[in-house]
Amino acid sequence: MNPSAARNWVTATRIVLGLAGIGLIGYGLLGLPTQLSPTQLVGLLTWMALAVLLHDGVIVPLSTLTGAGLTRAGSRLRPVSAAVLRGALMTGAVVSVIAGILLKAQTESRTISALEGDYAGNLVVFWAVLTIGAAVTIFTLERTGRARSGTGDSRQNVRP
Amino acid sequence: MQRPDPQKLTEALAARFASPTRSTRLTVVLGRWLALSFTVCFLTGLFSHGLQNPPSWMFFPASPVWIYQLSQGLHVTAGIASIPLLLAKLWSVYPELLKWPPVKSLAHSLERASVALFLAASLLQLTTGLINTYKWYPWPFPFRETHYWLAWVIWGSLLLHIAVKLPAIIAGWNGRTVRRAELRGPDRGPATGGMPAPSAAGAQGLNAAPGRWSRRAFLTGVGVTTGAVVLTTAGQSFAWLSPLNLFAPRSMGTGPQSVPVNRTSAEAKVADLAMSGHWSLAVTYKGTRRTFSLAELQALPQQEQELPIACVEGWSQVARWRGVPIRDLVSAVGAPHDSALRVTSLEPEGPYRHMSMPAKYVQDERTLVALELNGAVLDLEHGYPARIIAPGRPGVLQTKWLQTVEVL
Repeated sequence: MNPSAARNWVTATRIVLGLAGIGLIGYGLLGLPTQLSPTQLVGLLTWMALAVLLHDGVIVPLSTLTGAGLTRAGSRLRPVSAAVLRGALMTGAVVSVIAGILLKAQTESRTISALEGDYAGNLVVFWAVLTIGAAVTIFTLERTGRARSGTGDSRQNVRP
Repeated sequence: MQRPDPQKLTEALAARFASPTRSTRLTVVLGRWLALSFTVCFLTGLFSHGLQNPPSWMFFPASPVWIYQLSQGLHVTAGIASIPLLLAKLWSVYPELLKWPPVKSLAHSLERASVALFLAASLLQLTTGLINTYKWYPWPFPFRETHYWLAWVIWGSLLLHIAVKLPAIIAGWNGRTVRRAELRGPDRGPATGGMPAPSAAGAQGLNAAPGRWSRRAFLTGVGVTTGAVVLTTAGQSFAWLSPLNLFAPRSMGTGPQSVPVNRTSAEAKVADLAMSGHWSLAVTYKGTRRTFSLAELQALPQQEQELPIACVEGWSQVARWRGVPIRDLVSAVGAPHDSALRVTSLEPEGPYRHMSMPAKYVQDERTLVALELNGAVLDLEHGYPARIIAPGRPGVLQTKWLQTVEVL
């Protein structure tokens, strides 16, 4: 496709997608007040605002602080090991948040066959497996890296 | 006293949050994954909504019998998978939030407003969707209606966002092109369309700075995290993953007669009526009315079917059901097989007290008025003395504690 035709195709696609998007947003926004009372709509807007504040004001700054700490701690590791450490902590953090909400829900709405699991125990098991798995992987990677350095190989970075 | 310059302040703040891992390519890859999971959620959600509130053109697939088990399992699982994907995607563009001035033009203000709506609706939808599966409702608005309308807002916002960012998406789509551009340096990189540009180092996507991770390592981390939340929760929907089910609200094989329960007899306030020795099922058609006691139903020809019961909250369970084919009861009052039904529960109130059953399910020999479950008389929690079980329908439409069946 020649550049001019490609530009036209992109423009046409943007117009179609944009109009379809605006139409669907409008359909959803106009539908909400047909089933939610004004008080419920205020409640919904409040929850939406709180969700953004919690994300932008707490979750991202906290993850940035943690990341800065990991940069310092991980700089003594090979990049691939530092990545394993970061990945393990990311996985553990997200699973812990989900398990935390689950544990709170268990105190609120436990019923027959729902929320009956030992989620705290499961979380401990999960962290134990994650910690051991990450530690073994990092240990192996560091050892392999040192062995390679000893044989003249330069420290390899992670591939793109 | 000198007034602080907001631009310098936000630039300093943005520098604090800067990470060489961020790039257009990273955002595009995460955006692709998220768009896919949001689309799966949207389409499977519409399917479920259509089964419960069918428009005139709605189709009702009864085969394969696990179709709703699959679609709703995918809906909830894709929703859970979207949580780490959304967090990672938002992290990848976080410095955009700190840019100064916040609004440059009318078009820019509209774009930012649409992103704010997209972000707020998505965060709320995923959070409340997850908590809904726990049957916990701490918010001051109705879940089902809000979830439905916000789904349109979110998917519409996704299309609009793609339209606005299309040049940047195209620039970051092909990994090889991006890597070549990064190796040439930032000045010759692809157009970013407002997304984080390729890093100044030029090759941060390729090699990580000390202690940091590369783009590929970050994406692998997000993939592993998404895999972990999926693997440890999807066992409530998919039997082959049940051994890994650590953090789902339901487990297969639990509950009375090894089948989970959603609405209990206490919540439905039916125990006295259901356990009464005078219970009977009334079947009506025009002027004809026949009542069947439990003993009379048990005396009719019985069929056994292995069918899953699948809930809108994502859990499901395959079980053996035994009872009277509903079409036999329709015949017993002289009505044609291709009739639709209105079924009423003993529940005095509740949104699912009445259930409409399209003719497609009535004609299906696998649709039963079930009297037994897994080889024993139905437990009260599963709808004793009689309940509906039909292939491929949401659990809320598998009416328990039957009172009447009206042939329409």
